[in-house]
Parts: sequence; structure tokens; C-alpha cells
Amino acid sequence: MFCEKAVELIRELHRMSDGQLPAFNEDGLRQVLQEMEALYEQNQSDVNEAKTDGRSDLIPSIKLRHCCLLRNQRCITAYLYDRLLRIRALRWEYGSVLPANVRFQLSAEELQWFGRYKKSLSCFMRSLGGAEAGGEGLDITQDMKPPKSLYIQVRCLEDHGELEIDDGTVILLKKNSQHFLPRWKCEQLIRQGVLEHVVS
Amino acid sequence: MFITDIRKDFYEVVANQRVALLVASDIDALCACKILQALFHCDQIQYTLVPVTGWQDLGTAFLEHKEQFRYFVLINCGANVDLLEMLQPDDDSIFFICDTHRPVDVVNVYNDTQIKLLIKQDDDLGVPSYDDIFRDDDDEEGDDSGNESDEGSEPSGKRRRFDEGAVERRIERQRARREWELFMCFFCQAAMMFFELAWVLTKDTKDMLWWAVIGLTDQWVHDKITHMKYVTDIATMQRHVSRHNHRNEDEENSLSIDCMRISFEYDLRLTLYQHWSLYESICNSCYTSCSFKLWTLNGQKKLQEFLADMGLPLKQVRQKFNSMDMSIKENLRDVIEESSNKYGMKDIRIQTFGVHFGFKNRFLASDMVHAAAALLESAEKDESNSDNFIKALDALSRSNLERLHSGIDLAKKKLMAVQQTVASCICTNLILSQGPFLYCYLMEGTPDVKLFSKPMALTLLCKYLLKAFVHSTRNKRCRLLPLIMAAPKDVDKGTVIVVGIPPESETSDKKNFFGRAFEKAAESTSSRTLHDHFDTSIIELKSEDRSKFLDALITLLS
Repeated sequence: MFCEKAVELIRELHRMSDGQLPAFNEDGLRQVLQEMEALYEQNQSDVNEAKTDGRSDLIPSIKLRHCCLLRNQRCITAYLYDRLLRIRALRWEYGSVLPANVRFQLSAEELQWFGRYKKSLSCFMRSLGGAEAGGEGLDITQDMKPPKSLYIQVRCLEDHGELEIDDGTVILLKKNSQHFLPRWKCEQLIRQGVLEHVVS
Repeated sequence: MFITDIRKDFYEVVANQRVALLVASDIDALCACKILQALFHCDQIQYTLVPVTGWQDLGTAFLEHKEQFRYFVLINCGANVDLLEMLQPDDDSIFFICDTHRPVDVVNVYNDTQIKLLIKQDDDLGVPSYDDIFRDDDDEEGDDSGNESDEGSEPSGKRRRFDEGAVERRIERQRARREWELFMCFFCQAAMMFFELAWVLTKDTKDMLWWAVIGLTDQWVHDKITHMKYVTDIATMQRHVSRHNHRNEDEENSLSIDCMRISFEYDLRLTLYQHWSLYESICNSCYTSCSFKLWTLNGQKKLQEFLADMGLPLKQVRQKFNSMDMSIKENLRDVIEESSNKYGMKDIRIQTFGVHFGFKNRFLASDMVHAAAALLESAEKDESNSDNFIKALDALSRSNLERLHSGIDLAKKKLMAVQQTVASCICTNLILSQGPFLYCYLMEGTPDVKLFSKPMALTLLCKYLLKAFVHSTRNKRCRLLPLIMAAPKDVDKGTVIVVGIPPESETSDKKNFFGRAFEKAAESTSSRTLHDHFDTSIIELKSEDRSKFLDALITLLS
């Protein structure tokens, strides 16, 4: 059946619907491109035959192959675009340095795209808060939800060792200890799952 | 030293600093901790909270945090030993101790720089004066210590001649100190101390008031304070409650049903009865079960008579309390009080407080205490002490109702286990009189024995058992004896946990001398013991040393 492999790619992304990124499926993509090439070749030869020999009964099959080609194209572009959207979300999730296991899932071109996205985001952030030279910029990746207070109560879910806060003091993060810390210090660790925000 | 102005000497000192909170594992400490946390959140004082279960834990926690923190607040731990000697802190560490254990170690009382006691000095502590204990014999330092004792200013010449006098005085000093440290008891509540701090700062809320009430009720439920003290403290709390409640009476601006309301209740002494069936609650509450002697057949019959006397059909009484008929529930308290007077239970009703928020959620203070205590000591395999601490701490918040309900279920199981163990101990005569005390040992195969490897649960069992024993025995002398109970703690390591409680009497002041007694007995027999708990009357012991330890105790106390 034509277009099966393309739908397979889409299904793979659909399975990981919570924004996780599966590994870049080079093989699958190559197979789809091969299928498209084969269809295109067949179509070319049929079109030539139809033109020269006047065989109008080949026209439906040409139409079918053309539809398949369009479908494959649509599937592949959807696959690539969805991956790019997920990679963009990674920048907001993990910050500018991706952990190694995530970076493994990206293809070389996707990594390039990620680098360029990072650059344009940081350019934008720098331009905020005073346009002319000397603007400090605003880190818009902090505080994704409007914060209710400067300090939050967090609970440590695992032994993480020491954490240094802005005034130089060091806090020992041991399992099941609770701390009352500045919000901006804890956000990263909360996202990583080391700390848990306690709402009481 | 004792702190006089808690706002100036404690709160304003820590106001811009980072504080380490070391909290012991009992409900009063948890409540005090919650109140303090709420205050710190209000004023954005950064803190780190570490639960500790014993002296070793305290030492480890201190070592880990001493580099990073200068101010330490100890809740319900640390007052009854020489803290500076035990922890060896740097000179700039300051400890604020709010502890209900008495006696307070004299070194802690008289240390001016590093130890600040958040304890009211007008509790009749009877701290011996400085000179009774510390005054030196040397002439050089004797006169100018600014003391106000009678032994005042003797001329130095005379002193040198009266050597025997000096020796006698030293013996006096040691005796005074020993006597001071002989008995252990509890006094006041940490939660109330911090609530008063909140009140002085006018930052008290109904939540904090409720936590203070729970702290007070915890001390009463676990039999740590006398009834008189409980009633006095209830009166104090009642003033705060009515102050917070006066908004409710305003008809035009009445509060929404979801707001928290605390009300004074003169309610029944039946544990958890609103979350259980009335019948189960009567069977499993210490007071009723001991008065009826429900472990005997006669007792069961009396219970049936009692229910019949009140006109309560068995079918109603055995179903969940919330589903009982409204007509029965309306006058229940008065009806029960009347009937119980006939059966010799004069104190079936007790003054307490209840909280009410939303349509479904009504809890009495004692319900919360039992639920939190059951969570704190739940004997699940893969939960450490600090996990349980966190769970119990969560259950005290209003937003964690499922946690609270799971705590109530655990508490019901615990109470049923306690009752069954008490019944079996009495029926099989497991309590032996050893002369100066009664003794009971829970064998390893006893059902639910894992529950009783925890100190609070074992102490509760101990107290219930003693009450039941006093009601059931005919021997008048045995009724005045204290009780020591042992239960297996860790089967792999072969240790048992031993608890001693003072004798049961109406006018007891709850003073417990077993701390010292255990120490001496362990020394004299060189048994391998671990005096790790903050409460000195609870120790761990190797099972092989059990019999010689007991023999030593018998000789010591007779």
C-alpha cells in the first residue's frame, strides 16, 4: 500500500504526545523518499507513454500516483515541522544547554536549527528593557506563570548535594528536607524534579 | 538562658537571617513547626526544615548544617541535655530551644550566650538557683558573682578553716542537681508558645490557632499533662477562639460556609466517633472500654445494657455515624452523659475544640491528633521516618484532606490493634508483678506487633494497658505500681524497645523517673542499650540483655 511508511512516521510522533522527542527516524524518511522517487519515475514514464501513444487509460493511474506523491510530501513536512515545534519547546524547558540524552535524538540539521533559534531568542531578550546600547535585556524564560511570592516552600525529593544561592550561602539538599528559598533559584530544580513545590 | 521578650529576643534576631529548624517527631512539634513556618512565610525568612527522631539524628543534622547556618531553632528537643557539650558547636552558633521536656538541663539555663530557651519562666519549674549548683569554693571568684543566695558573703578567712563546710556544700549542690534532674515530665506546649508569638506580632490566623489547639490536645491524648493543666490551657485557648469568632455572629456579613470555623465543644470522650460507628468507637476508646471492662463477657453484656438503656437500636449504632438517624444524633451527647453517669463514667464529656469548613468537613482536635500520630508512625516497610514526618505534616494542612482521611483510617486500625492487644494481655495474664513495678513483654508473634515497635504507639498501649489492669485487678497494691513494657523493635538486629510509665492515679503529676532508672540499670549490668529518644523513659535494648537489665531494675527500685 502506498503512503504506509509516511503514516508510520506520523504515528511515531503521535505516540509520544506529551511533547517528548523520539529519535530522528532517518531510515523511515529515506524509505518514504525512495517510494516517492519510484512513484515519480513510474509517473514520468507513464506520462511520456500517454503523450506519445495516446493511451488515455493510463491517466487514472497517473492521477493516483500523483495523489500519493502529494500525500507523502504532506506527511513528511508535517513530521519535520512537528519535530521543530517540539525542539523549540525544549529551549523553554531546559534552557540553552540541552542534556546529552536529548541532544542525541536530534539530527544534525535540527541541531543547527536549534542553535539559530537560540541565537534569535537571545537577541530578542537582549533588546528588551531599553533599546539603545546598555539595555540589560529581560530573561523571558523565567517565571512562565505569574509568581505569587518572592520565596516559595520546596521539598527535596532526592539527595542532590549542595546548592549555592545568590548571596553565597550554600544549602544542603537532602531527601525530605524542606526549604524556603527564592523562587528563581528553585525553578530549574523543580523542572528537573529534584525539588517539589509545596502548597499549603 | 530564658527569653523574656519573645518578639525582641527571638523573632527580630532571626528576621533577616537564615534559620535551620530541627523538629522532633511528635504532634506538638509538628504543630509548632507549622505555626513557625507560616510566620516565616509571612515575613520571608528563609529556613530549612529537618526532621529528627533522636539524639543521633540531631547530631548528624547539626553536623551537616553547621557550616551553612548560624541560627538553629530546636522544637521539642534539646533542652534536657547539655547541648553545647553534645554538639560542640562553634562560638557563633545560637540555639533557640522550645522544648516541652522537663527538667531543663541546668547548663542550658545558665548559659548566657549561645542557648536561648523559648520557655516561660513562670511555669513552676523550680530551677535550682545558680549558687546551689555552680558556685565555686575558691575565694577569688566567690564574692562578685552577684548572687542573691543566703550563703552570700562570708569572709575568706573563715572559709579556709571550714573545709568540711565546703565539702558539705558541694555534696548539697550535687544532691540539688541530681534531684532536679531525677524526674522527667512535660510542661506547656511548643505550639502554644509559637502561637503566642504570632499573637504578639498580630499575625495570628485561625489556622495557627487550630494548630495550637491540636498541639494542646496531643499532650492530653498522650497523657503527658495533668487534667488540671489541660483545663487551664483550654480556657486560655478559649479566649483566643472567641476573639477570632466574633465575626461569625454578625448576621449581615456572615462568613461563607467554606471558611474555617473553630468552636468550643463539650464533646464525648469517644475517640474518632464522628468518623466511625458509635459502637466501634465505644469499644475502642480507652475510657469506655476500661470502665465497662469490655474484654470480659460481663463487660459486653453491660455494654448492651448501656445501649438499651439509652434507647439506641443496635442497627443504628453499628452503622457509620454520619448515616445515623438525625433524631438520634440530636441529643446524643446529653443522652450518653446521663446514662454513663449511671454506669460510673462521670467524665464521659470533655472540653475540646472542633473545626468546621465546607459542608462535609468537621473534625475534633482529638481526631486530628490521632490521624497525625498514626501517619507519623505508620509501619510501612519502605517509608523512612522522614517520609512519615512529611506525610503527617501535610495532613495538618486544610488542603490535604485525603491525607487526613487516610490518617484517620490508619488511626482506627491502630486503636483496634491496641484494644485487642490489651484484651489479650489481660485475659492471658501477661502482666507480671516484679515487685516494685509491673512488667509486660509482647512476644514476636503477637498480631500487629510491628505497630508497637514505634515509641508513641507503644506508650499509648502501655497507658491503656495500665488503666485496664488497674480496673481489672483485685490486688490493691498492684494498682499503685508503675508499668514497664517491652516489645520487639527490629527482629534482624535483635533489639527490643522498652517503655516505662508512672503509676496510674487520679492526682498524678505525670512525673516519670524511669529515665534515670534505665540509665543506672544499663550501667550496672553493662547491657547494650541505646538512649536515643528525646523522651528518656524510652530506650532500645538488645534482647539477650533483657533479663539481666530487668533484674538490675528490680534491685534498683526496691
